[in-house]
Amino acid sequence: MFKELDPILHSQLRLAVMSLLISVKEAEFTFIKEKTNSTAGNLSVQVQKLKEVGYIDVNKQFKDNYPQTTCKITAKGIEAFENYVKALQEYLKV
Amino acid sequence: MPNEKQLSEKESLQLITDMIQKVKNSYHDKGVGPLLWGTVVAIASFVSYLQLQFNFSLPFDIWWIVMGAIIPQIILINQDAKTQKIKRHEDAALNAVWLVYAITIFGLSFFQAIVPNAAEQIMQLNGWQIIKHEINNSKPDEVIKPFTPSFYSMYILIYGFPTLVTGIVKKFWPMTIGAIIAYILFMVSCFTETKYDFLLGAVAAIACWFIPGIILQTKYQKQKRANV
Repeated sequence: MFKELDPILHSQLRLAVMSLLISVKEAEFTFIKEKTNSTAGNLSVQVQKLKEVGYIDVNKQFKDNYPQTTCKITAKGIEAFENYVKALQEYLKV
Repeated sequence: MPNEKQLSEKESLQLITDMIQKVKNSYHDKGVGPLLWGTVVAIASFVSYLQLQFNFSLPFDIWWIVMGAIIPQIILINQDAKTQKIKRHEDAALNAVWLVYAITIFGLSFFQAIVPNAAEQIMQLNGWQIIKHEINNSKPDEVIKPFTPSFYSMYILIYGFPTLVTGIVKKFWPMTIGAIIAYILFMVSCFTETKYDFLLGAVAAIACWFIPGIILQTKYQKQKRANV
């Protein structure tokens, strides 16, 4: 019996965001936007969804008088990501 | 990237791999710090060797150039922090290691500056002094200050410590090899005269920082050209 894939992660942009954040301590919103080739509006919506389920933390602050948003994966997010990858491996038998 | 596109399992795995690779390719150390330190420590060590070998002294202490290099290093760290859009897990740990290294080097310099005079005062209080006596009586005896023989060996040993940690953590083999060379040079320096210790120290600085710095700078330039 295959595990059901987490619907939050099984979407292109949210999975891309989580995949970026899994390998760093934290990343700026602009970095994620650049690497995922997404628009600010679209990314904001997906980041908000990930934040609502507790997969990431979003920190808004000012840096050199400019607003700066940084994202960081949470312990819950790491666990969800690991489970998602395990489920994928089961599907693909890798 | 489309909003809610549903992915196949294969596409998901490919996306994860691509994103992790993008993060890896996005960060390239310019190698300016290692280049700077490798240069100043190698120059100071080599000039110290020349002073002892050819019996001359500069009007200033050559090791001040190492102290002077702290200013551009702080500027570089600040510039890097401003332009860096990601923080990696190992950054904080490596910064702590280099901070401990800097404190240790400062501690050793402090030891060298204070202990000979303090030891001399203690000896005077106890009513004795150190005399240099030529075995073949070629020169008259002379009173000398207390000193630690081959003290620069300690510096060479410490050069290897943060370099090895950085090399292992970043999986950057030129620094790992540089650190191993520093440890070998430390052992060699235990058997050599002080003036040659400085020469070995210059080689250690080149192996630990200068060469890895050049490799990092070359990689960075290559990556920059590829991104244009």
